[in-house]
Amino acid sequence: MKHLLASAVICLFPITAQATAIKEAPWAPRAAAYRHTLFLGNLSPIPWEKIEASWTGAVPGSSLPDAAVSRANDEEAAALYSALQVQDRQALFEAATVIVAQGMLRHLENADARLGTPEAATELAKAETLYRAFEDAIRAADEPAARQLGRAWLILNSSLGSGGVLGKGGQESNKAEFANARKDISDYIRANYLPAEFATRDKLAPVPETVFLSGQEVKLPATLPPGSNIADQSELPRLILQFEEAGEDEANLPLVAYGDMLFDSPEIFGGPAQELGIACSTCHNRSDINREFFIPGLSYRPGGMDVDGAFFNPMFNDRKDDHLDTPSMRGIRFTAPYGRDGREPSLRRFIRNVIVTEFAGKEPTPFQLDALVAYVREFDWLPNPQIDRAGRLTDKASDAAKQGEAIFNADFPGLNGKSCASCHTPDQNFTDGLTHDIGSSEPPFPGGTATAFETPTLRNINFTAPYMHDGSLPTLASVVDWFNDTRKLGLDEEQRMELTAYLEAIGDGEEPYQRFEGRDSVFRLSWEELTTFAATLDTLLPARDAQNIALLIDTVAPDLAADASVMTNQEAKPEIYELSAILRAVGDASSEGDWGEAERQWQIFKTMQAAIDERMF
Amino acid sequence: MLNRRTFLAAASASFVLPALAAEEGLTLAFIPQENPEKLLGDIKVITGWLSEQMGVPVTGFVTFDHAAAVEALRNGDADISFMGALPFVLAEDQLGAVPLLSEVYRGQPSYSGRVFVRKDSGIETLADLKGRDIAFADPVSESGYIYPMDLFVREGLIADAADADSFFGRKFFAGGYQQAMQAMANGLVDAAGASQYADLLLTPDQQSEIKVLAESEQIPSHAVIARPGLEGGLRVRFTEVMLSLNNPENRYLLAYLYGPDGYIAADPEVYEGVRETARRYGFLK
Repeated sequence: MKHLLASAVICLFPITAQATAIKEAPWAPRAAAYRHTLFLGNLSPIPWEKIEASWTGAVPGSSLPDAAVSRANDEEAAALYSALQVQDRQALFEAATVIVAQGMLRHLENADARLGTPEAATELAKAETLYRAFEDAIRAADEPAARQLGRAWLILNSSLGSGGVLGKGGQESNKAEFANARKDISDYIRANYLPAEFATRDKLAPVPETVFLSGQEVKLPATLPPGSNIADQSELPRLILQFEEAGEDEANLPLVAYGDMLFDSPEIFGGPAQELGIACSTCHNRSDINREFFIPGLSYRPGGMDVDGAFFNPMFNDRKDDHLDTPSMRGIRFTAPYGRDGREPSLRRFIRNVIVTEFAGKEPTPFQLDALVAYVREFDWLPNPQIDRAGRLTDKASDAAKQGEAIFNADFPGLNGKSCASCHTPDQNFTDGLTHDIGSSEPPFPGGTATAFETPTLRNINFTAPYMHDGSLPTLASVVDWFNDTRKLGLDEEQRMELTAYLEAIGDGEEPYQRFEGRDSVFRLSWEELTTFAATLDTLLPARDAQNIALLIDTVAPDLAADASVMTNQEAKPEIYELSAILRAVGDASSEGDWGEAERQWQIFKTMQAAIDERMF
Repeated sequence: MLNRRTFLAAASASFVLPALAAEEGLTLAFIPQENPEKLLGDIKVITGWLSEQMGVPVTGFVTFDHAAAVEALRNGDADISFMGALPFVLAEDQLGAVPLLSEVYRGQPSYSGRVFVRKDSGIETLADLKGRDIAFADPVSESGYIYPMDLFVREGLIADAADADSFFGRKFFAGGYQQAMQAMANGLVDAAGASQYADLLLTPDQQSEIKVLAESEQIPSHAVIARPGLEGGLRVRFTEVMLSLNNPENRYLLAYLYGPDGYIAADPEVYEGVRETARRYGFLK
């Protein structure tokens, strides 16, 4: 279950390759703006306005609302503005790098000058928060230096001294040690981030200048800019699987269980998506959506992003900054065609499109596509007693909603003599399975043809705000207003309220979110799901299917270990690490063709799973 | 859970001078932690709610550090303060401060200090750390220095804290739990001394690569304490209202109070171990 776990972990490093999404500690404004500049500066085309905004206003992921440029001196700010004005990417990189590097040196100097006072600790902390802007690249490019600098920061902190508690236990500061460590850091920063002349960079990254000039190949980890959120929605949607509600166990449906695993597996994607641990379920939490998913520069607003941009798969970059709102996959088997523009007639083709074109994965095997389709076809909507099987309101709906139902079914001249229900057909799950140009997007050129979008279902929409293909309308009431205005429906305030009440009635659902309490913890859900995935080994091992076993284990073993970090029962954590290692052993034996050993390790896994099950919460 | 962040955050806080404690009200002293600007906003929310619940004006202000909070309690500028176990026993000693409430985390009103190492380090015992490097959080941190260090004393590996430099290769104060843990996880040092759940400050991958080498006795969690002369009725009412933060409808407010899971009424007896440790380490006579 990738990214189920928005744990309490606060990470000091940028969002990078992790099996489990973690919350990131806020960045200093200049460091945040710098990292935004690098990320956005590597997009194509470059969103210059967004880069400027990251320096001149509050920047996502920053600890403070201050404009980062306000912390630069006049000369540094002038260089930045100049680069932005002429849209010179290299000059921008240099100006931004200098702002961070000089800022760090100034704070170190201030700390030195104030050693022995509390202000020294403040200044040192500020310098260290700016160093974070470069740290991951130094570690990737120059490990010995990263180590030496890491020790230097430890020495600086240790040399500060302490005022003690109520005058007791104080420690003197150590000026000589502080000065030496400061020199080590300052010398490195000057040589690598404040060179007399910067070499031209094709890719903007905080790789130390001396390493860059050496021509050494540096494998930087894929990172997202500060303020990104790829953890699951904090209110986790409730998953309704048809077979499960009917009383069947997923472990008895190996194709579905394998598809479930693939839905949670970054291994089927390629490029940065795979490295960052992004899976289908990252955006489609538990078959629904993730309203909190956000990547600055790619998302206009939380809950979606531009899926055909430069970052995830440059080959598929349409060079248009066009955010798409993530659609829910509840009831997906009933809502063809697929894609917001309805370009794919079948689930199979659409899933292939997501894997290969959007997220740069390898061509999936027919078995993998079968499994994914088998799994997502089980997604049902949340039950809604306010509507019957034909989509008509029941007695449980309010009077206002019933008034609204009449409006929904009434013909309007502004809808070409049709009704809302003509397209959102109640007895077809509130969709007609077609695409329409309703005026929600502009033609690509004057006289051109605007994109038509598929008619979205209205079932369970109470939980999928915002609305429209680009998420531009925040509430159902605003959707009603939009149609009333653009289509001149002539509804008065009360009628609009009634129509909204109707939408809220048909869009409702029972128990929309997963409830966690006591031992029914986030980890428990993850445990049950991951062990179900592993259970497909009962089918894959006898079939000697090494390829799919490898994919399964590369997904489940790291997830098990990573998810241990959110266990309520922290004392049982080491057992999870042990179980994960056993699963690895199954994979190792299988990849070597030692099926006897693989079977043996799998039996050990199952025995241990049963033995520790009660403690797994 | 005092650490250097406490110390440094104080320096950049916007200090609000306390009004003289209102005759019919309460004044709370808050000690800054991570983000003093956030704390100022939090104080507004929590004192507003307390005023409403208690029916008397409740105000709050940010102190410079523990010493300033204790001074405010001494001279009546503050009636109540939030405080770690060690500064509390010092405040108790210096002016007779009274503990009212204890924070609860993960179901416990106490926590421990631990020594962590990487699994691949080959280090199996505290004795194996002879000549190796260790990072602690801060020189005055209970769980991030004093209690983990005490483990070495109790094992007879060092005589006292001052003797540490003869045992370790090098001893660092990293500035906080997270910094100490990162230094260990990244291989800059061999071990880290930090609070019980400091491993949760690492990435999940890092967490799977480390282990607990040793664990201290339990340390009482942060307390809410009162000046000795605070009128009994107010003290009781305040305690009752604070305990109602445990009710489901009020739990969201805990995030404005350093984020514990809840509170329980304080038991002065549980601080005996801290008093004893404070005496051995020269904080108390």
